[in-house]
Amino acid sequence: MQSRQSRRRLLATLSSAAGVSLIGSPNVFAQQAPPETSRIRLSKSAAICVAPQYVAEDLLRAEGFTDVEYVLRPPAALAEALGRGEVDLAMHFSPPCIVAIDAGQPLTIVAGVHVGCFELFAHEGIRSIRDLKGRKVGVQGWGQAPHEFLTSMAAYVGLDPTKDIDWVLSPTVSPMELFAEHKIDAFLGTPPEPQALRARKIGHVIVNSSLDRPWSQHFCCMLTGNRDFVRKNPVATKRVLRAIIKAADLCVSDPTGVARRMLDGGFTASYDYTLQMLNEVPYNKWREYDPEDTIRFYSLRLREAGMIKSTPNKIIADAADWRFLNELKRELKS
Amino acid sequence: MRAAPALALVMLAALLLVPVDDAPHQTFKQQPLPKIAPAPEFSLTSQDGGQVTLADFRGKVVAVTFIYTLCTTTCPVLTPMMSFVQDQLGSNFGTKIAFVSITVDPERDTPQVLKEYAQAFDANLAGWAFLTGTPDAIRDVTRRYGVFASKTANGDVDHTFLTSIVDPRGILRVQYVGVRFDPDELRRDLLSLLQEP
Repeated sequence: MQSRQSRRRLLATLSSAAGVSLIGSPNVFAQQAPPETSRIRLSKSAAICVAPQYVAEDLLRAEGFTDVEYVLRPPAALAEALGRGEVDLAMHFSPPCIVAIDAGQPLTIVAGVHVGCFELFAHEGIRSIRDLKGRKVGVQGWGQAPHEFLTSMAAYVGLDPTKDIDWVLSPTVSPMELFAEHKIDAFLGTPPEPQALRARKIGHVIVNSSLDRPWSQHFCCMLTGNRDFVRKNPVATKRVLRAIIKAADLCVSDPTGVARRMLDGGFTASYDYTLQMLNEVPYNKWREYDPEDTIRFYSLRLREAGMIKSTPNKIIADAADWRFLNELKRELKS
Repeated sequence: MRAAPALALVMLAALLLVPVDDAPHQTFKQQPLPKIAPAPEFSLTSQDGGQVTLADFRGKVVAVTFIYTLCTTTCPVLTPMMSFVQDQLGSNFGTKIAFVSITVDPERDTPQVLKEYAQAFDANLAGWAFLTGTPDAIRDVTRRYGVFASKTANGDVDHTFLTSIVDPRGILRVQYVGVRFDPDELRRDLLSLLQEP
């Protein structure tokens, strides 16, 4: 949890920021205060569901960041990169964040951004998560987001993820290709994989996290920061979150424009798959859903599966800070 | 642009028929709107060719939006929605509450073009100003209000939709993101600021 000491430090930082009390604002992180740093480092990877992050650059510049950098880090290495301070803030899948926090990575989750990143693909004869018992399920690495999501899903339906699933570890060949070649029975796809498989008419979806409960009720990607960065730069953190939220709205209101910008910016190789994804993933849930519910939900599942030791309360106490989100919920309506 | 009003009516009707879930806002319903910051000042050219500043509206509640007249996607939803709210505000509109729509396409949206656009959407120009300016001035005001606007190769403008509510003292109180907000909530927020001491 943000300790009292850190809160004091935070207030001390803010008291030195010009203009905070000019208009008697009750806000902790006054909008008119400039960000404490003009440099912000976000992540870049093959995951395109974090589209708001990729199209936020101009909004970040409008928030006062003159040096906006996208640091190339695959999702599997993102939590560590955040913990080491190589990336300041990034949209990241919730389960890997929770696992990293449990392992002691200094991360702070500040908001949920969107739901619906992943789809569970399977071949004929598999209709539900329970049907995965005894089946070959492909993952690219242990402890990566698809493995953690799948573990959570298996635990939720009463399977023992360790014993009941025949995991196929494939670090070099993507599980999607193994699946296309019928070498595995199922795998969890994240954009642009589901769009590519649909185009190739391969397999069918047994869980779509945009549509199917309870997965559709919880955030997939959450804005997560390096703990020290968030603590030392509260105004900057709030400004980044505001830019990401506005960019998420842009994904809803102008998906074609966002897809084009992502293609032009080198964040995606396929305009069509990106546009499909933008039309499928709900980017308008940041206000509606409670990010704490997401952390509780996945923490419980991961704990049941033995992947973390911490209780949900401890994860929340150690690494969640909703003050930025709560202020923006009042300042930004949608 | 001439097809825009008809299209807009259809889109607005569709929007208003969609059930609006305002549950997430209920937590804050009883609270006064936050005081975010002094609203960014501007000095731009109106549809009549005169200079208009934000300070001219001191004493009134102002809703500031960003649009462009050739927009065929979501602007044709936002402007009629504002026109709908304009009508709902009755005699308060113009006297106590004003709207300002700033173009993000200043090269094409001349005062005359904005005037025609205003007429097409039944804007009451006694309380609603449509503003343009030099590209630099527009770039500056969009940046300071936190609006992203970028011209594409085919001449369209990608932009975020942001409606900023400014109180009679010139303080930015709340911003509405997108165009799928509840027009009645906007109306209530505008009126609530008239009740403040």
